[in-house]
Amino acid sequence: MIDKTRKELEIRFPLLKVVREMHNYLHIKVEKASAMDAIVMAKTSLGFKTLQLISSVDRIEDEVFQMTWILENYSSKTVLLISADYPRENCIVPSLSDIWPAASAFEREIFEMFGISFPGNPREGEDFLLEGWKDIPPMRKDFLTEEYSMKLYGERQPREHLDPRQYIGDIVGEWNTPMGKKRKEEK
Amino acid sequence: MYCNQRPEKPGAKKEMLKKINNMARANSLWVTAYGTGCGAIELRPLGTSRFDMERFGIAMRPTPRQADVLIISGYLATKTLKRVIRVYEQIQDPKYIIALGSCTINGGMYFDSYNTLNMLDKYLPVDVYVMGCMPRPEAVIDGFSLLMQKIKDGRAQGWKHYKENLDYYRENQMKIITDWDLPDYNW
Repeated sequence: MIDKTRKELEIRFPLLKVVREMHNYLHIKVEKASAMDAIVMAKTSLGFKTLQLISSVDRIEDEVFQMTWILENYSSKTVLLISADYPRENCIVPSLSDIWPAASAFEREIFEMFGISFPGNPREGEDFLLEGWKDIPPMRKDFLTEEYSMKLYGERQPREHLDPRQYIGDIVGEWNTPMGKKRKEEK
Repeated sequence: MYCNQRPEKPGAKKEMLKKINNMARANSLWVTAYGTGCGAIELRPLGTSRFDMERFGIAMRPTPRQADVLIISGYLATKTLKRVIRVYEQIQDPKYIIALGSCTINGGMYFDSYNTLNMLDKYLPVDVYVMGCMPRPEAVIDGFSLLMQKIKDGRAQGWKHYKENLDYYRENQMKIITDWDLPDYNW
């Protein structure tokens, strides 16, 4: 079943790479220019009528955001993942909210968490999860979350830790335990 | 319709009357049914027949106006803190806070999260902390019995501390809630 889907996609997009293929699951990677065409083709002619999720991964080492659209075909029970890389600077990705109204919510979340803008989304820029966020988007890899947390929320001083060996000395000895004896023999 | 005045100091009462009041209060703790984190799941078995918190006179109430106790159950996000402040300030005096889990004490496993506050007692006065991640219902009952003992001894004065140090608490709250749109006084 999924072979047929892959073959039809390969005829239309000869440059696609297959990331992973299983009996009911296909993950392909396409050029960013042909990502929207692939999604529209999957919906209109291949029967992937449900959008399950839009996800984004910040791959800072390649300076790209990897977008993934997860589509599902309920009649054949197959899942199709379409990935594409978009440059990290001023990232703009076309919106899917004309095709699937549900995409609007995913895109608002990605805009808030990664700062990727989706022109064409009617509710772009509205608060989704964070209220009044002023820093850089928190799911980007260059956002230092621990530093931010310590600065804003503070840190409770930990309880003083006392090492018993400091007070009673090394009575047992490092080599007297069963593990220690084993290590001594190895040495 | 909100009050536009700062909180008033409660008038002095006779020692005998105080003791009777405290005893009555300790034996009928009514809890606001408001769950902030994962700990809300641990509160459900408390109400059912196995742990049965009604034998201590503890009952769940649907509105803060009828309740005495607010349970902060687990991690608290800044977005939730805004709602919690509103709920806490609408509870009638005297009011008590029980904080569950290590997240409210020092951040727990969310110590470096961008959205979870680390020390609850900077923002709201906590009477009893129950440690654990999450505490089992037995531990919550133990926390309740500690709170009852504190009320009977007249030591559960967090609500008075909040009234007297309102500026300190407000300053901390406004520091992390960037889109502050609450009225000045919620009672």
